[in-house]
Amino acid sequence: MLKIATVSDFNLGNFAALLRNDGAEPAVAVVETPFGQPFQILADPSHPTWAEAVDCLIVWTQPQRVISSFAQALEHEQVDRAKLFAEVDQFAALVRSCQDRARMILVPTWTLPPWERGSSLLECRRGVGLADLLARMNQRLAEQLEGSPPGSTAQGASQSNVFVLDAQRWLVTAGIRSFSTKAWYLGKIPFSNEIFKQAVKETKAALRAISGATRKLVVVDLDDTLWGGIVGDIGLENLTLGGHDGDGEALVDFQRALKALTRRGIILGVVSKNDETTALTALREHPEMILRPDDFAGWRINWGDKAQNVVDLAAELNLGLQSVVFIDDNPVERARVREMLPEVLVPEWPADKTLYRRALLELNCFDVAALTQEDRNRAAMYVSDRERKHARRTVGSLDDWLASLNVTIEIEFLNEANLTRAAQLLNKTNQMNLTTRRMTEQELLAWSSEPDHRVWTIKVRDKFGDLGLTGLLSVETKAASLSADGAAPSGAARIADFVLSCRVMGRKIEETMVAFAVRHARDEGARVLTATYLPTPKNKPCLEFLRRSGMRESSEGSIFEWNTAEDYPVPHQVTIGSLDHALPGH
Amino acid sequence: MDQPDRILGAIYRAIDELNMTQPMEGKVSKSPEAALAAPAGPLDSLGLVNLVVETEQQIEDEFRVAINLADQQAASASQNPLASVQSLADYIRSKLGDTDSG
Repeated sequence: MLKIATVSDFNLGNFAALLRNDGAEPAVAVVETPFGQPFQILADPSHPTWAEAVDCLIVWTQPQRVISSFAQALEHEQVDRAKLFAEVDQFAALVRSCQDRARMILVPTWTLPPWERGSSLLECRRGVGLADLLARMNQRLAEQLEGSPPGSTAQGASQSNVFVLDAQRWLVTAGIRSFSTKAWYLGKIPFSNEIFKQAVKETKAALRAISGATRKLVVVDLDDTLWGGIVGDIGLENLTLGGHDGDGEALVDFQRALKALTRRGIILGVVSKNDETTALTALREHPEMILRPDDFAGWRINWGDKAQNVVDLAAELNLGLQSVVFIDDNPVERARVREMLPEVLVPEWPADKTLYRRALLELNCFDVAALTQEDRNRAAMYVSDRERKHARRTVGSLDDWLASLNVTIEIEFLNEANLTRAAQLLNKTNQMNLTTRRMTEQELLAWSSEPDHRVWTIKVRDKFGDLGLTGLLSVETKAASLSADGAAPSGAARIADFVLSCRVMGRKIEETMVAFAVRHARDEGARVLTATYLPTPKNKPCLEFLRRSGMRESSEGSIFEWNTAEDYPVPHQVTIGSLDHALPGH
Repeated sequence: MDQPDRILGAIYRAIDELNMTQPMEGKVSKSPEAALAAPAGPLDSLGLVNLVVETEQQIEDEFRVAINLADQQAASASQNPLASVQSLADYIRSKLGDTDSG
């Protein structure tokens, strides 16, 4: 259960209660601090709030309560803007000073009630309007919170564990009842529960993002989902898609929204009851089709059971069912998949096609803590993978196929350039993951800085393209020491993290990583290299690899070891490219 | 539906909202006899604030009339309007009777 702490100038009791009672994953325990003391609690590292590790700290304040110059502005007094922004900077610095006390800090933006009309006509005029001032304050706050804390080795926005949440959107969703004057005067609660419900949704999405529980694959139906009409009945020329038609335009927009997801690292698939040739022809040849076959990582277009097809497609893409979202206009198909595959997210889907895009954009299951170039390229990588698999069907043995891929890997020490992607990989990978240890960028960097700890990243490419940073290996070495009789060194090394993206599993990269770890352990004076497997519901592929890796398995079946006096062979199908920064001992 | 039933319906909708913020052991049941305020009922001060706010909103939605359930009249009433669902319904009926809306 994740531990959440709240710090606020107002009564967050309802938010805390809604968060506790919310049924969505992950479950949380909420520690409420006394409201009205945000400065005292944030500034005091010895405050009881910080006695235990906090997974997520939520700092939610009202601007007039923490920025005194803004309180003056609310009274229409002239304010010194430089002083006001200095106050914002101080507040941001105070929040950032807590970065080491929580894995993640969430800060909702400052808002004003909808009835606060300020200077009306002049609201957006610089130096006069409250709306203008508050927008600039929020911008300033976000910029300050993105920055690195003084003295920190982390740099840049992508490595900050402070995230600013857009509370204005919650206000719009809640409407005129977003604020409650009655609740404020009776209980020091400025917001209605509608606001808090929105905040709970965003908080849960953020927690899923840091725990790697975000969805990665959207599987869509075709007829009456991606386009209007049954292509097998009416032909591609009569499909409703684009043109001067409300539904047609809405479906084009829906396809654009799906395509936009691929730029955020989400991949697309098709499961449809159709004739494959007919459906693919429509995807290729309809003049207003936005999504073409190359936008999909894979498909199952046949007359079989959709639930089974979703299972098969996810397996083909090396993804667990917990990564899948299934979108279908047919409530019977949705119910079938929901019942057979409870891990798959099957959102209720509107009958009205003009609501499709909205329904997609409202899903809060794709949030990530950072967006890397690998994410942006992921869809293209999966398309390359489909071509790879096609090539496999034309080549004889597995060994021949692997050799034909010309797999090259680059092993690098963890560094600031690869830290964001490395942490993301560590936190999102479920299957080939030895211990499923989850760490923020800061925690990973701190761990790697310990003496005798080493973390490497593995980049992979082959003849079909660059697969990016897809592996992570970390080893902890106990310094060699003399045994009791002083005769022999007794140092040992342990693999702490053995992580490989499902995109590159089964290409002998796993064996290459073990060979690399063995060499490192031997160079560091360790006699034995161990890997302790910690089972989860999802990482059985890692156990299966260890069992065929040649490492000796303990009687309990969870510890695997290799005597470093013996070479672990590097598979001939893998070439180790630039090792300048990674060779053990260098 | 007559006015007493409409009032009870509004209170029950408010209780649905209220229960979202209540711990499992502090849920309020939807019956006229259900106790609300402590010590007989499960609601602490925050729970009572939520009940008042939600009930006022539900009454406004139902009758298009804004009432105040936390005014001096409520504080000085011979029986605490927030003692039970029935006492709250009775109090709301008296408040609505003060207005011309029906």
